[in-house]
Amino acid sequence: MKKKKNAIELQDVCINYSIMNNVSIRKTFLHKKVRNEVFEAVKHVTFAVQEGDILGIIGKNGSGKSTLLKSIAGVFSPNVGTIDLKGHSVSLMSLGVGFKEQLSGRENIILSGMLLGFSEKEIQERSQDIIDFAEIGDFIDRPVRTYSSGMYSKLAFSITAMLETDIMLVDEVLSVGDEQFRLKSLNKMKELINDRKRTVIIVSHSISTLKELCNQVMWLHDGEVRKLGNTDEVLKKYSEYMAPAVKKTEEVP
Amino acid sequence: MFFISIAMFFIAPLTAWKIHSRKRGVDTGDKRNIKLIAVYFFLLNAITFAVSSYRGIDMRRWNPFTTTVSFRIKYIALSTLLGMLIPWVLCGFLNKGITMAEIKRHSARFFSDMKKYFPYAVRAAKADLKAEVTNSFLDWMWWLIEPFCMMLIYTVMFGVVFDAAEEHFPVFIFIGITMWNFFTRGVSGSVEMVRANRSIVTRVYLPKYILLFSKLMVNGFKMLVSFAVIAAMLVIFRVRITVSILCMVPVLLVLFLITFGVGSILMHYGVYVNDLSYITGILLTMMMYLTGTFYAVAKRIPAPFGAVLEKANPVAFLIAEMRNVVLYGQVLDWKLLFVWCAASVILIWVGMFTIYRNENSYVKVI
Repeated sequence: MKKKKNAIELQDVCINYSIMNNVSIRKTFLHKKVRNEVFEAVKHVTFAVQEGDILGIIGKNGSGKSTLLKSIAGVFSPNVGTIDLKGHSVSLMSLGVGFKEQLSGRENIILSGMLLGFSEKEIQERSQDIIDFAEIGDFIDRPVRTYSSGMYSKLAFSITAMLETDIMLVDEVLSVGDEQFRLKSLNKMKELINDRKRTVIIVSHSISTLKELCNQVMWLHDGEVRKLGNTDEVLKKYSEYMAPAVKKTEEVP
Repeated sequence: MFFISIAMFFIAPLTAWKIHSRKRGVDTGDKRNIKLIAVYFFLLNAITFAVSSYRGIDMRRWNPFTTTVSFRIKYIALSTLLGMLIPWVLCGFLNKGITMAEIKRHSARFFSDMKKYFPYAVRAAKADLKAEVTNSFLDWMWWLIEPFCMMLIYTVMFGVVFDAAEEHFPVFIFIGITMWNFFTRGVSGSVEMVRANRSIVTRVYLPKYILLFSKLMVNGFKMLVSFAVIAAMLVIFRVRITVSILCMVPVLLVLFLITFGVGSILMHYGVYVNDLSYITGILLTMMMYLTGTFYAVAKRIPAPFGAVLEKANPVAFLIAEMRNVVLYGQVLDWKLLFVWCAASVILIWVGMFTIYRNENSYVKVI
């Protein structure tokens, strides 16, 4: 078997948030030095994902999963360490980036697509597919503000699903729209994910979803890698860890 | 006398070198010292030469050995002042850990990013314009009606009540309002820019100044519509138009650059300082009255100050020049326009650099 190449390589990545949220002029005059508390969201994470692999990231709230994903997507770069994507195109599946409420769905497709890094021509070619997939009928030519929340997320999902990139980063977007559309989107996701060339990282709280989709899981705990490896193994350890917490909440009447 | 002539060129670079090496606090080698002095020599003398020639001294026929004492003193004073300021500022940057490599990297990145994101900026600007007028009853007519009504109000207020006596007063005031609005909207909008586009900034990467650029294109388009109204007014008021009206293009271009430069710097501070929008609001109002949107700065403010204010305030200068070329058929002050153009390029560059350096943490702050 041919040895697979790495699609994503993270080397000793640290991401800090310096908490200096509300600097106002009065405050700067009163205390000459604003104390910068540093919060480490991600600490020394190192891993690699091979081309075509699907990596799941699990962990409790606030363990730095989304931060890590954003940083792989390039929203901000890490404070320490390197992220090497080997020249692959990357997109963070996020719903409705850059939507303008006053404009029609058709125009928002182009606007959102361009923000995701596609040229206008590429989007024009795909736009019919997107519209078909979203199944929102005549609403495509009406302003987005008239959409129901279901239609909004259907359109948004279709945009990110149809504009394909080499690396896909998914942050809990598997449940949109009604039951029928949910199934359809799940199938589409599987189709996208199972593409041999596509590398995917999924962040989720749902153990069953990860079990179904991933061939590797990373457990992130307080910004550090607790465990990385075989799906079943890691998920088993994770549910064992989470079990007492679940029990506790059940005891409360 | 011979020595003074020579010293005239060397006092400033030597001072600059002394300050530079003191501020940097590192012992630099001989070779580096000579290089440093040479760089400062050319830089300081070039600037002083440029200033002298701008002040009306013909530098082509100028001879350092026969010139007047008064000029020599002025020359030394100016170049030494610069020689103290420039290393001070430069070392301030250098001590923050800004390196030559970083400067080169960001400058190159600016052009590639601009190329990459320009289509999006245009598209977003178009979408913004469209979003503004869809569903409103009079559609794009508002872009004409709004400035026109403003012009009527100001004309009545200042033309009738305060009895202003400029030639072609309605057009005069309309040019002022239009250009000032472009500047003030761009600057005050830039302070809140990153926060206002939170939904985009937190989810995809784009160079943050693209947001400002797109916004300025929206404002710029509206300004051009207003200039169409001005064209109509020129016909109605039978203003004599000369060829110099073509000079309005570079004037508008420099206005765009200045706004972009000031805006991009304020945009950076707007992210961190929550109450900056109040300060800019106050400062802009103050500046509006100093800029002469409804009077001629050089004429109305007493003699030495009027002319200085008009030249030192880029917006006032541009508005005055615009009136000169459109209404009064005068020749453009190319020299000063070029100086402001260069200044705005520097501002833009500083803005870009600060944004590139800090935009990583913007997402985490807002």
